[in-house]
Amino acid sequence: MALQVIGCEAVTQLLEKLMAEGRVVAPHQREGNKQWVFEDVKDPCDVCLDYTSTILPPKKYAFPPKEKLLHYELADRPKMEAVIEAEPLVIFGAHPCDIYGLNALDKALCDQKVDPNWVARRAQIRIVGVDCEPDEYCFCGSMGTASVSTGYDLFLTPLNGDYVVEVATPAGEAMMEGIPAREASAEEIAAVKKRLETKLRQERKINCDVNSLPLHFSGFEKSPVWAEVAEKCYSCGTCNLTCPTCFCFDVLDEMDLSLHSGNREREWDGCMLEEFAQVGSGENFREEREDRLKHRFFRKYSYLFTKYGEPYCCGCGRCVRQCLVHIDPVDTINRLLAHSGKEA
Amino acid sequence: MAQACQCEADRELYVPKLAVLDKVVPQTELETLFQLRFEDGAPLGHQPGQFVQVCLPGIGEAPISIASAPCEEPHFELCVRKVGNVTRALHNLAEGAYVGIRGPFGRGFPDDQLKGNDVLVVAGGIGLVPVRPLIHHILCNRPDYGNFTILYGMKRPEEMLFRDEIAEWESSNAVDLQLTIDRPHPDWSGHVGVVTTLFPSLELDAPRTRAVIVGPPIMYQFVILECRNKGIADEHIILSLERHMKCGVGKCGHCQINGKYVCQDGPVFNYHELKQLWEAI
Repeated sequence: MALQVIGCEAVTQLLEKLMAEGRVVAPHQREGNKQWVFEDVKDPCDVCLDYTSTILPPKKYAFPPKEKLLHYELADRPKMEAVIEAEPLVIFGAHPCDIYGLNALDKALCDQKVDPNWVARRAQIRIVGVDCEPDEYCFCGSMGTASVSTGYDLFLTPLNGDYVVEVATPAGEAMMEGIPAREASAEEIAAVKKRLETKLRQERKINCDVNSLPLHFSGFEKSPVWAEVAEKCYSCGTCNLTCPTCFCFDVLDEMDLSLHSGNREREWDGCMLEEFAQVGSGENFREEREDRLKHRFFRKYSYLFTKYGEPYCCGCGRCVRQCLVHIDPVDTINRLLAHSGKEA
Repeated sequence: MAQACQCEADRELYVPKLAVLDKVVPQTELETLFQLRFEDGAPLGHQPGQFVQVCLPGIGEAPISIASAPCEEPHFELCVRKVGNVTRALHNLAEGAYVGIRGPFGRGFPDDQLKGNDVLVVAGGIGLVPVRPLIHHILCNRPDYGNFTILYGMKRPEEMLFRDEIAEWESSNAVDLQLTIDRPHPDWSGHVGVVTTLFPSLELDAPRTRAVIVGPPIMYQFVILECRNKGIADEHIILSLERHMKCGVGKCGHCQINGKYVCQDGPVFNYHELKQLWEAI
């Protein structure tokens, strides 16, 4: 589809139009600091499209931190029924890495047994992507996630104070109806391409081709690097909770105050947390911090990569940006490679 | 819509089906056998070695091995140890109570690999439960199998499960049952020692023996060693593994052993496929 160009006022108009139709969430800057969060848009002027990374990825709307799966009513013969809560929603201003994260979760949660709650929410979400400039933590260039080709309805690329708009779906087309836009010039199209090339030239990178990671990881099982990195890990699970491609969950029954009914809910869980692999008898199959750290890395760059054909890491850098002791996947992978003499 | 996933979802994936608790048979201080049937009379439709998610609304869910054979349907049995919230609450239920069931889940014992061969079952403690459906199945179809040996080890005599059945198996020619307890006990006149101490006197035709091992995590490496010493090939050693589980459908991530999900790829595995997985044994 041909690229269009819209001005800043048109972005505000677009936001107003979408807000009139229903719920819109977008990045907002936290007062007084350089942190951003996805929140409901109350005023289009509060939306900040020029941001590095939000604290939590927009995954939180498709896979909420806490979500009802089941409603039950206690009785001699209890009643249980599925709860699938989904509403029309526009995620406005998602970066390519976060869109990649949602696409990755589509694969995992729709594999074999399809997760009904995920599918229902995803079906009602429209996405307006926006391109970004990597900060000192991003490594999307290494992960091949600096741009995405699917998973959005509209994609905005900032250019000289305007935005170049790619309309990717019929839903995106409908969004653009009535928004003043002009066709992008050949120079503007070339500038968009050039922007991506610049974005890919990140200093921060892993020292091998991303597609060779599963192969390299097959030799990392006994690397001493795991123990070195795990030594400073607090096992707090922040990396899990901020990750756009993590989807492990716990399931808990919450009773209503009446004690007659309640809901079964799933909550984000994290494989870095100590009890994650512990069974009822007390046996813990991943008791050591080193084993949990190793598992997390293997899951991202080997197990799920092998299973679904792409890394379960989008290079957003949230895990290191928010890690209390600065455990960095890029540095860890490079140390693993260097130690095994596999640096490319 | 922007989504790439256009697949059909089962709305009822996380919804249990109601079963009625027909019979409660106490086994030991900690374990009880529960006989259930779906209220609509439908069979569970399981294979020996599979498990279900047992659901008590307001308390939660727990993965439990199925203890009965498919030939016993429409009833099915669960033998449960009191260890957590769900299993304790289950022990407080009376006959006639409703229990939610999801499943059956996972991969069961590979009957096609067992048929026509000698079968050696090695069970430790509560490990007898997941393998009981297989034992029943073999005894129901005895001519399809060669020699049938069961080694069952427990810590103390009072931990013995399914006592009536064990007495039957002991007196039967259909199976060679050997029992052992870990340490001497005044009420025990049989063999004493961990289950591996039964191996030296065991006479096996190694090439045609298929070993099925189920027990506490510590047991596997030692029993595998004994099986290999007897000449049983790695691809003829079959194990059922326990892991933490929440969903049963390959989503929640808890049961993962390296790249495998126990709830989907297991709980029954061939030792040959586990050898490379350092998290397995």
